[in-house]
Amino acid sequence: MILLKALLLYLLAFGQGISGEAILTEIAARLIKTPITQGDFHQQKHLKVLHKPLISTGTFTYDQNKGVIWKTLTPVASLLLVNESKLLTGQGEQALPAAFGKVFKAMLGGDLAALSDGFTITGTDRKTSWQLELTPKDEMLKRIISTMLLSGDSELRNLEIREAGGNITRTAFDNITHPTQLTDEQQADFERLSP
Amino acid sequence: MLVICILGVQALSKDWLETGFLALLPTGEQQPEIAKATRQHNELSNRKVIWLAGAATSQDAINHAQKLKQQLEQSRLFSKVVLEFTQQRYIEQYRQLFPYRYQLLDAQTQAILAANPGRLIEQNLEILNSPVGQMQAADLERDPALLFSRYFSAQNPIKLNLEQGIVVLSDRHRFWALLLTDLQDERLQLDKLETLSGLADSATEQVKAAGGELLVSGMPLFTAHGAESAKQEISTVGIGSSLGIIVLLWATFRSVRPLVLSSLAIGSGLFAALVICVLFFGKIHILTLVFGASLIGVADDYAQHFLCDSFGERDWNPRKGLKFILPGLTLGLISNLLSYAGLGFSPFPGLQEVALFSAMGLLVAWLTVVLLFPLLLTGFAFNHQPGILKLTTYWEQHWPLWLNKNQRWLGLMLTVFIASGLWKLAPQDDVRLLQSPPPELIRTADKIRSLFPLTPDNQFFLVSGKDQSDWHQNEQTLLKRLEILKQQKTLTAYQGLSSYWPDVNQQQQNYRLLKDKLYDSGLLERYMMELGFDKSAVTAEYKQFAGSENNTLTLAGWLATADETKQQLWLGCDSGRCQSTVALIGINDVNALTALQDLPGVIWVDQVESVSSLFARYRIRASGLLAIAFCLASVGLGFKFGWRNGATIMSVPVVALAVSLAMLGWFDQLFSLFNLFALLLVLGIGVDYGLFFFMAGDRRASTSLGVTLSALTTLLAFGLLAISSTEIVHAFGFTVTCGIVTALLCAPLIGLKDIQSSNTMERR
Repeated sequence: MILLKALLLYLLAFGQGISGEAILTEIAARLIKTPITQGDFHQQKHLKVLHKPLISTGTFTYDQNKGVIWKTLTPVASLLLVNESKLLTGQGEQALPAAFGKVFKAMLGGDLAALSDGFTITGTDRKTSWQLELTPKDEMLKRIISTMLLSGDSELRNLEIREAGGNITRTAFDNITHPTQLTDEQQADFERLSP
Repeated sequence: MLVICILGVQALSKDWLETGFLALLPTGEQQPEIAKATRQHNELSNRKVIWLAGAATSQDAINHAQKLKQQLEQSRLFSKVVLEFTQQRYIEQYRQLFPYRYQLLDAQTQAILAANPGRLIEQNLEILNSPVGQMQAADLERDPALLFSRYFSAQNPIKLNLEQGIVVLSDRHRFWALLLTDLQDERLQLDKLETLSGLADSATEQVKAAGGELLVSGMPLFTAHGAESAKQEISTVGIGSSLGIIVLLWATFRSVRPLVLSSLAIGSGLFAALVICVLFFGKIHILTLVFGASLIGVADDYAQHFLCDSFGERDWNPRKGLKFILPGLTLGLISNLLSYAGLGFSPFPGLQEVALFSAMGLLVAWLTVVLLFPLLLTGFAFNHQPGILKLTTYWEQHWPLWLNKNQRWLGLMLTVFIASGLWKLAPQDDVRLLQSPPPELIRTADKIRSLFPLTPDNQFFLVSGKDQSDWHQNEQTLLKRLEILKQQKTLTAYQGLSSYWPDVNQQQQNYRLLKDKLYDSGLLERYMMELGFDKSAVTAEYKQFAGSENNTLTLAGWLATADETKQQLWLGCDSGRCQSTVALIGINDVNALTALQDLPGVIWVDQVESVSSLFARYRIRASGLLAIAFCLASVGLGFKFGWRNGATIMSVPVVALAVSLAMLGWFDQLFSLFNLFALLLVLGIGVDYGLFFFMAGDRRASTSLGVTLSALTTLLAFGLLAISSTEIVHAFGFTVTCGIVTALLCAPLIGLKDIQSSNTMERR
């Protein structure tokens, strides 16, 4: 479920032509679409038990075919790699619910029915920016995520995930670029995902 | 006969047919604790059937699986059909074990704490900040150092993806929804097995028609397939030899009475055999019936000899006939019983059944012929000269003469043939030959194993110690070695209780480790404060820790929370010994694992290997048995007829045995324990034929008719066994067939000198 959030984030961020709902079509048209996207992130996690947020920063790389590299630099360096069938973290390979693969594919393949199947979507599209609110339809997912807020311009700039338990994660994206080629280091990281 | 009928009705009204493959294997040979461990190890897998419904999307796969689940539940075959894996069990287990979190540490956490507790804090920060870390940190409030979270996730090392509570696996092309079922009963009745394979087939078709794919595997399906092919073989052999006998008898006697009487002899023999076997063993294995069906051809011999004798004399009557033929029949019976007794001395329940079944069948058929035939054949006489008699008479007169004339080069060829055949003979003792599942079944099983690598292999370790702590220490030593092998990819995974349940000493050590490295050092306090816990939360955590010092989780307490695959690893403590098994998954190199049996208290158990080596041992022992039977028969015959004559009669089985073996070598056939048992039969039958000809005197014509008829029916029966798809049944049939053909060809040479003189006398 948590991974779903992560995936949605990247998929929406570099959305591959979202249609179905009018608002999705409009917003999708504004987003820059390239095979590779990279940038910096700044993430704040507000956990109920802690009186201050957990703040982490780092870089991310999205490759249409290869998946996502989420590289945390502070407070502790760590690496998370994910594609359609595999999820690797510092703790080794983790379970990857097939649903994520489904959403992943829906996004990449432009099968938008699948996305609006899973979420109720509302949003606003203004001149300079846009905002979307996604509410899960699935009861199981609802128990974990209450809403997801996405906003941006030609890129996704902010993502807010509100958990049913009250925890909130806010992530901001900066310095977004669209290189045509992966660096050697990025190549090597993706290499670890291949079976 | 009445008694048998009554007993029969009683015995057969119960569940009397055995189909499981394991029932054929000996149990008495093994040490009792290994046998017990093996039983417990197999218990779950013997009932488990795994279903994987595949489709292009996970939702479709789930839909297929849900439909399948309904179907399976309606079949009433299963005690358990699991599709949705509820979190309830985990929640429950979490709740029960949580109070012991300061005593329960997984091996990795222990190592990190001992070497570098700061690393543990770093790992926690990594998890907490990770976009996917929420699951692991879900209980941060009560488990601030994530210790219990680590222990809990180490309990389930292979992570499965759940979607709507259903395990969904994936490969490059498809998503697969997993459905696990347990059959109600480990010892399966034939009709249930048929229902199961029918269900598997129809479900596969249905899912296919709906655009998906279904993979089904499990031990019961292999058993079902074995039972299915055995049933087919029983009917092939049964119907084939019955038809053959009817045709032969009709052609020979052209009368209903011999037919009816032969059927009576065979029928009462088989029925009595079945009833006595069921009474004696409780159940009879389906493979016994396959061999049993071939008995039709042997049990028929006595009736045929009796009937054929009627052609031997003009004023024949049943009583006179019996008087003449009784010694031959009786000796024949004794030699046959002797050879079946040989089978009975093997440790294999399957072969013991075959032996008792055959011996009883023959005895009762013999009794029927000897006691009832004289009565029932009263006033019966043939008034025709059957064509087949002319044929066999011609054959009997000319074949031996031709053989005699050409004996030089024939003898040379035979010697060369036998010697080179024996040269090529190579024994094979693999237990897997007992079952010959079709390749699709094996392919599916492999495919499922690659998708769902959680099924334990056949091999396992048995670990013991004189008490719980000794056992724990021994198992821990083994598991440490296994961990190294796992990292070297020698195996995919292993499961041992001691990696989940630390013994009392270890629990105290774990607590002290946490106290020294994390709590008393102030590391935990600093970490909690930096994360942003309230001061009161830190105090509460330290208080919790201090209050838990004397908590101890007993093994029984831990087992009560575990699932059944883990529970079955524990074998219990008795008479100063505690034992467990360590299950192994995805073994790549058996040799690396067998090397570990030198560790204290560790025994390597390889069921396939141990039964195969048992086969090899018994192959050698059965060779001895064959030699003893041979000597007994020789001595018996020598005693009765003189040594020279005894040797003459024995030459028939000797040549038959040699040719059988040579044929096995030439045709590259399986040569195992089971061929030797077949050779025992060849010995018995060979002695019979030699004996009949030896005692024929002036009735050689009727004797050769009798022998030919009985050989033809026996050939039909065993020849049909030779087409079996089960390797050992095939090997058995092939060996006996070769032996009988040879015996039939050699037997007329016996007493040849007598006929030459008597023929000349007749002609004068």
